[in-house]
Amino acid sequence: MTTRDDNVVIRSLAQIGACGLFLINILGAVPRSFRYFSETLRQIWFVGAMSLTIVMTCGLFVGMVLGLQLYDVLSIFGGTSATGTVVAIAIYRELGPVVTALLFAGRAGTSVTAEIGLMRATDQLDAMEMMAVDPVAYVVAPRFLAGVVALPLLAVVFCAMGVFGGHLVGVTWLGIDNGTFWSNMTASVDVHKDIIDGVLLKSFAFGIVVSLIAVFQGYTTPPTSEGVAYATTRTVVASSIAILALDFVLTSFLI
Amino acid sequence: MSQRPSYAVGTGLFIVLGFAALAYLATQTTSVANSHRGSAYEVTTRFVNVGQLKVRAPVKVAGVRVGSVDAIDLVPGKEEAKVTLSIDDSHKDIPDDSVATIYTSGLLGDQYVGLQFGQSKTPVKAGGELAFTRPAQQLEEMIGKFFGGGSAPDRLGGTFHVTGNFTNIGGLQPGAAVKLAGVPIGSVESVVVKPGSSEATVTLAIDKRYSQIPDDSAAAVFTSGLIGSQYVAIQPGGSPEYLADGDELVLTQSALQLEDLIGKFLVNGSPSDNKNGSAPGGNQPDNAGKK
Repeated sequence: MTTRDDNVVIRSLAQIGACGLFLINILGAVPRSFRYFSETLRQIWFVGAMSLTIVMTCGLFVGMVLGLQLYDVLSIFGGTSATGTVVAIAIYRELGPVVTALLFAGRAGTSVTAEIGLMRATDQLDAMEMMAVDPVAYVVAPRFLAGVVALPLLAVVFCAMGVFGGHLVGVTWLGIDNGTFWSNMTASVDVHKDIIDGVLLKSFAFGIVVSLIAVFQGYTTPPTSEGVAYATTRTVVASSIAILALDFVLTSFLI
Repeated sequence: MSQRPSYAVGTGLFIVLGFAALAYLATQTTSVANSHRGSAYEVTTRFVNVGQLKVRAPVKVAGVRVGSVDAIDLVPGKEEAKVTLSIDDSHKDIPDDSVATIYTSGLLGDQYVGLQFGQSKTPVKAGGELAFTRPAQQLEEMIGKFFGGGSAPDRLGGTFHVTGNFTNIGGLQPGAAVKLAGVPIGSVESVVVKPGSSEATVTLAIDKRYSQIPDDSAAAVFTSGLIGSQYVAIQPGGSPEYLADGDELVLTQSALQLEDLIGKFLVNGSPSDNKNGSAPGGNQPDNAGKK
């Protein structure tokens, strides 16, 4: 695809450009992929429902550690009753979408890349084309759609578990008053700004980016076992950078 | 494809769980009332000072939220803030002579607009105005009042200086207030003992707005309350001439030392030893005057 003499910048630009063209390709194939709707459903099950365990566990622990840290810091100012508020806002606006997207890239993105890459390496994609089955519509688009649908749902579950974890530490363990915890939280958290803009919009954008990177890296992998290994690594690296950079850009627009 | 139903069920469960979590977040951890923008009517008020009041701050009656602050603008050409309140339609019965006050929740909390009902039978109309308002209380002013010295007026109009010689100024500090009839009109600029003199020379910076002070006025060092801070009181005389910049107040009354008063009271006379300072008006400078 590229020669080694090429400049790193040129190569990265070429990758980003190819990625964008591939996105248009996928979007064009989406209507055709509805013929394989059960495949999309199976992929949602695989990348979404199967990721629930890791997302719920991590959400719980992130909420717990936030509760613990914030209680410790806020007690300096005598403001421990604000723990619930800060836990909720921190999780909704930042940690929920970002950590879920990072976990999703590691848990689901890599497996999608490896799966498509192995299909490429074993010529399955070429075989599909021989049989007049469009591999973008049958293989790529369902996985892309599944990621875009699953990530916001996972992020919401992560947030719910995070708030639950914060409650567990703050109220059950450290003894903040239950009513204070919830009433302060409900007084400060805004449905539009925090949940719709914070959780849903961000995780939707992350879903597009992570899924696109995963299927693109898999689809364009060199057809060798080494190529599949590199592609999987690149998925995690590129996804992480893209998530965090996009997070900053989105936040600066949303705030 | 035989496994398709189980995938479908599992995926359906996952999606339902996701939406259930979303519903939980949206209803249990946020206040839907916060963003509830039901039908509301607008009422305007004018405040001299809105302090830290912000748009979307709550409007409360008897502590219950009835609406929010919609907009805060400056009245054109005036030093007044026009605050537009958006009050829910369900609270139509607010008397039109109600008083709007800006309160602070707690000592450091956010500010909100409180409405106290008046006696009027007619409710305020949409687009109407609540004429009676009380501005935000500035914490600094309250603390200033509490400590009794009163805040020295700002010096936007410029000041002129007069001096006075006191045998004893007690605990008077630079920055203390200068009062005329109890109203702060300036501040103490400096307290020095001139070389070769046994008296403290106090320079007073008085606001130029108060330039019509008779030049035979007396200056006295008083204490606000029993343990308050000390200030200089100007007691106007009867001269037709006014004080000018650089003048000296000839008639002065030094600070009364509480210890001296108690001493007099107890032993019926001034203390025989001079260790604790002289009697008021005496010639001996005491320790406090010798800075």
